[in-house]
Order: sequence, then C-alpha cells, then structure tokens
Amino acid sequence: MEILVLVKAVPDPEARLRPNAAGTAPDLDGVKWVLAGYDESAVEQALLLREAVPDSHVRALAVGPAPRTEEVLRAALALGCDGATWVEPPADLAIDPLLAARALAAAGRRSPFQLVLVGKQAMDDEAGLVGPAVAEHLAVPDFGPVVDLRWDAAGGRFRFARAVEGGLERLEAPPPIVVALQQAWNDPRTAKLQNVLRSRRAPIEKVPWPEVAAALGDRRARSVRTAFRLPPPRSGAKMIEYSTPEEAAQKLVRALREEARTFP
Amino acid sequence: MSGGALVLGEVRGGRLARASAEAVTVARRLVGPAGSGTVTGLVLAGAPAAAASELARTGVDRVLAVSDPTFDAFHASRTAAVAAAVATERSAAHVVVGGTAAGRELVGRLAARWDAAAVTGVVDLVPDGDRGFRAVRTVFSGRAFEEVRLEGPRAVWGTHPLAFAAPPPGPEAPVEARAISGGPSPVPGTAVGFEAASNASGPDLAEATVVVSGGRGLRAPENFHLVEELAGALGGAVGASRAVTDAGWRPTSYQVGQTGRTVTPQLYVAVGISGAIQHLVGMVGSRTIVAINSDPNAPIFKVADYGVVGDLFQIVPALTAEVRKVRGA
Ligand SMILES: Cc1cc2nc3c(=O)[nH]c(=O)nc-3n(C[C@H](O)[C@H](O)[C@H](O)COP(=O)(O)OP(=O)(O)OC[C@H]3O[C@@H](n4cnc5c(N)ncnc54)[C@H](O)[C@@H]3O)c2cc1C
Ligand SMILES: Nc1ncnc2c1ncn2[C@@H]1O[C@H](COP(=O)(O)O)[C@@H](O)[C@H]1O
Repeated sequence: MEILVLVKAVPDPEARLRPNAAGTAPDLDGVKWVLAGYDESAVEQALLLREAVPDSHVRALAVGPAPRTEEVLRAALALGCDGATWVEPPADLAIDPLLAARALAAAGRRSPFQLVLVGKQAMDDEAGLVGPAVAEHLAVPDFGPVVDLRWDAAGGRFRFARAVEGGLERLEAPPPIVVALQQAWNDPRTAKLQNVLRSRRAPIEKVPWPEVAAALGDRRARSVRTAFRLPPPRSGAKMIEYSTPEEAAQKLVRALREEARTFP
Repeated sequence: MSGGALVLGEVRGGRLARASAEAVTVARRLVGPAGSGTVTGLVLAGAPAAAASELARTGVDRVLAVSDPTFDAFHASRTAAVAAAVATERSAAHVVVGGTAAGRELVGRLAARWDAAAVTGVVDLVPDGDRGFRAVRTVFSGRAFEEVRLEGPRAVWGTHPLAFAAPPPGPEAPVEARAISGGPSPVPGTAVGFEAASNASGPDLAEATVVVSGGRGLRAPENFHLVEELAGALGGAVGASRAVTDAGWRPTSYQVGQTGRTVTPQLYVAVGISGAIQHLVGMVGSRTIVAINSDPNAPIFKVADYGVVGDLFQIVPALTAEVRKVRGA
C-alpha cells in the first residue's frame, strides 16, 4: 500500500505566543518549528498501517518554505517514513490553506496512492481546509475526523470511525481515500536517536516548482490575515470566600448569574 | 463582496441542526440589511420537509429542498458538488456552513470545487469598509484570535458552533422542491454502524455551552459521578484531564487539551485539575472559567475567573445541589 501523509511545520505549541509589533501576525522570531499534534497522529497512523500491511510505503509530503519545511520532513523521516517530498514555493508567494491544498494535490498525483493522511486541522491556523480540498482536487472521497483506521485485507477496504456529534460513526470505504485524523487517538512514537541522525542525510525529493505553478494558475492566497491578538488577560481568579461548602456554592452561583452572566 | 448567500441546512434526526440556523445569522449579516441581498437555504436529505420548513422560518428568503435518500449517508463530495452548482446558479457570493463535524468537512471541499476563498471556525464578523466583513476566529488552540479578510468574488464561511445566536422562528419563507442532476461522484464510504459515546447523554463536548471537567483530584474513577452530576445539573458536557484519560478512568474522547479536544463553552468548570499548560490550551478560549481546587497555588487559578479553594468532595456536591435548586430541577 502506498500511503501519503501530509505534514505541516507549525510553531512549537509550548512556546509563548505573542503578536508582532503591528498586531497583524504572531511574532515567530526564534520560534522552534515542529511536526505537532494532529500531524504526529497522522504519521503514527501511517506507520501503524505500514506495519500491518505487507509491502507498504509511507511518503511524507509538505508545502512550505525553507528551512522549517525541510526540518519537519526530516522529523517525519526520523519517525520512520520511507520517503519525503517537498514543494518549495517562491519566497514571495503567500500560501493559504486552499493554495497549499492545490499544490499538495499537484504533488500528490505524481505517483499512485491508496491513502492520503492529513491532520484534522493544523496546530497553528486550525483551518481544517487542506484535507477536504486536497480530496476534491484529487477527486477521491474524504473522511474526517477519523479515529481507529484499519485495513481490511480480505474485503479490500479501509474500516474506520468518524468522531461526530454524539458518538462514533463506523464506516468502510475502498481505496483511494483521504482521511483527516483526529488527534490523540493513537500514541505517537518518538524518534530514536540513530534514526534522527540517519534522517539528516536522507534524500528529500523536490518537486519542480513550474509543475506545481501550472496547477495553481494565477491564483493567489485569498485569505489574508489582517490582525492577530491574544485574548484580554484574565486578571486572576476572583476567589470565593466562604465558611461552609453551601455558602461557597451560593456565592459562586450568584456570581455566575449576576456578574458573569454565564449561568445556563 | 456583496450578492446573495446560500446557507446549507444540515439535517440531524430529521430536524434542522442548530448550527445551520446559526449560519443564517451570519448569512444575513453578510448580505446586508433586509432587501439588499437574498439568502437561500438548501436542504439535502431523504426526507427534507421538516428541516426545510424549520430553515424557512429562520429569516431566509427561500429554501430549496432536495429529496434524495443518498444524502442521508455521509457524502461531503456530493454535497459540495450540489452546493457549488446551486451557489453558481443563484449567483451567490457567499456560502455559509454551520460548525458541525460534517459542516467543517464541507467547507474545504466546497471551496475547492467552487474555486472560492474560505474560512472556518468563525466566531464573529467585523465590518471591513466596502469590502464587507472580516472574519474573527481563534487559532493556536484558542490561545489567540485572528482577523481574516477573504478576497475574490466568492467565499465560503464556516461558523464556530454557538458563536452566533440562532434567529427566533418567524414567518415561513417559500420552500421549493428541487430535483438534482448531480454528476458522477467519487465512490462514497458505507456506514456500517454507530456507537453512541458513553458521554452522549448530554451535549457533545465541542458544542456544549457548559463543560465540567474532572482531574486527578477526584482520586478514583468511582468518584467521577460527582463531575457528571454537576454537568447534568448545568445541562453541560463532561470533560477530563489527561491524567484521567491516561489512567483509563474515562475514554480519550473526554480529554480536553493539547492532545485532546479544544472546547470554548460559555462556562468551563475545572474540578481537581491543576492547570498544566497542555490542559489550558484546550480550554482557555472559554468565556467564563471556574476552578475548584484544594491547592491555592494551582496554576488553574491563573486562568480562572472564579476560584474556590477547597475540597472538591465537599464543594462539588454542594454546588450541584445549589444549581439544581436555582434551576428548579
Ligand atoms: C505532550 C503532552 C501532551 C499533553 N496533553 C494533555 C492534554 O491534552 N490534556 C491534559 O489535560 N493534559 C495533557 N498533558 C498532561 C499535563 O501535563 C498534566 O499532566 C495533566 O493535565 C494533569 O492532569 P490533572 O490536572 O488532572 O492532574 P494533577 O496535575 O495531578 O492535578 C490534580 C489537581 O487536583 C487537586 N486536588 C487533589 N485533591 C483535591 C481535592 N480533594 N479537592 C480539590 N482539588 C484536589 C490538586 O491540588 C491538583 O491541582 C500533556 C502532557 C504532555 C507532556
Ligand atoms: N503546507 C502544508 N504542507 C503539508 N501538509 C499540510 C500543509 N498545510 C496543511 N497540511 C495538512 O493539512 C492538515 C490540515 O491543515 P489546515 O487545513 O491548515 O488546518 C494538516 O494537519 C496537515 O496534515
């Protein structure tokens, strides 16, 4: 089985977040770029399937600038992906999720695949647009947010569940499909040191930009961020003073009803 | 951007999903004051009548109802194809989709199909001069807000659940039955079953206006009912810290945080949760946060609006009783 897993470099989720001076974007100076969250779960899922299905290969695919995109592709290789493909847009071309999806689809269709794995949403922009849009461009069905993805060899189909309102919807579908993974379903492995070292020298395939540009046509990023801000700081909790639990409960309920107005 | 808007009416259990009514509120604002642009509703289902009539009472100008049982199965590609065709036919500038699991999947697919700009998780709209509106949304697990301008003649807007009020029911707009000539579509998946979540008796975590989460402070799984009873009294959903899901007290579907779900309810109550950064990123977007913890120095109090320092085994039952009393239940 040929598995493609789409990975995006995102700012370290544990790093402190602050807006730039103009308040138009996060200040990403000196930030560490990582393969995080949903995409880690997607890579883990790809590797689990490869372990379960003989003669499978996992290729990581990313669109984005140097050096961060190359770094996350190396992180994916260190985790065990067999290959990595990189689309590097010209430095002056702004990329939004839908433009990224067109570029990813153009790169993805260069070789056959049975499964494309993506994160349900990226840890930074949380758009959740890329998976469904890639699927539309590749003209294959997409499913998300998915947990518990397995290959049914006898039936020649994938079996999985979508985490929807109120429960899990169990589904099966024949390849090829695009699957957007819910996070934290599996327990992503960490790379072994020797694999990290080996991944530094592993080849990364680069897609010639003109090939991708043809798929984009004259489209540009059509979603433009005009402001970025942190929520107003919470001034610290207002502590409820009380002498009995009942008094604490009464005071709290009164505060929620009369001050915060968030009592249901 | 001006021109009309199309709202997709999602059908759940025969009824209109609340998120779709919320989407009408957004569509109305996008097309401007009454009369300046029309809002069309579109319902695709085996038996669309009840939901179509509900949608027709939300303030849309007309509803198109397509009766076709294949839409009852999950079918983003087909829905996107039909929605794009209808949006083009009606010269709509906007399509608005409510923030459900299916709705979230549809936005990217539809935007790709219709060659439109798109934004998901919209929590607010701010006027943007003669360009219409910018979308406000949360990013980085609710730790920051951004404003986004959509450029070009077409845009798909996905709303965040509960961010907009659903319009109160009004007079019913005309409902028109439509047949579709959907072209060939990719082979869909086949639904083979449904497992109701064990926390499915209340609202879903992502949609709940109230979330009560329990942490390791509860000491043992058999004490978790304290959290469940408080959530029940408040009409909310139950969440948990990773300490709880890791220990197997509750399934991972309950987990709130960096490696779990992100929740943004009106009211979040953290019971016996210390407030590790990985937990905080999943709930700091909540409107009001209450923390109950025996340790006055617990970091959860730094993000909480109201804190009760005390033994949860005493405070939580008293709180549940008080809530029941006040809500008359
Ligand atoms: C990569 C990574 C990802 C993670 N992702 C997540 C995530 O998604 N979600 C998440 O929640 N965590 C996550 N964690 C774990 C996180 O770091 C914390 O370990 C976890 O949140 C702690 O859970 P807790 O607050 O329930 O437990 P503890 O930290 O043990 O806190 C228990 C609290 O209960 C209080 N308490 C004890 N007894 C009582 C009592 N009788 N009455 C009142 N209060 C009492 C204590 O004072 C304490 O503050 C992640 C960690 C890592 C490294
Ligand atoms: N530039 C990119 N390169 C590769 N994969 C991406 C890129 N952007 C997004 N993805 C994938 O699409 C998922 C959803 O991203 P988004 O639509 O931006 O929330 C991510 O979790 C990745 O799997």
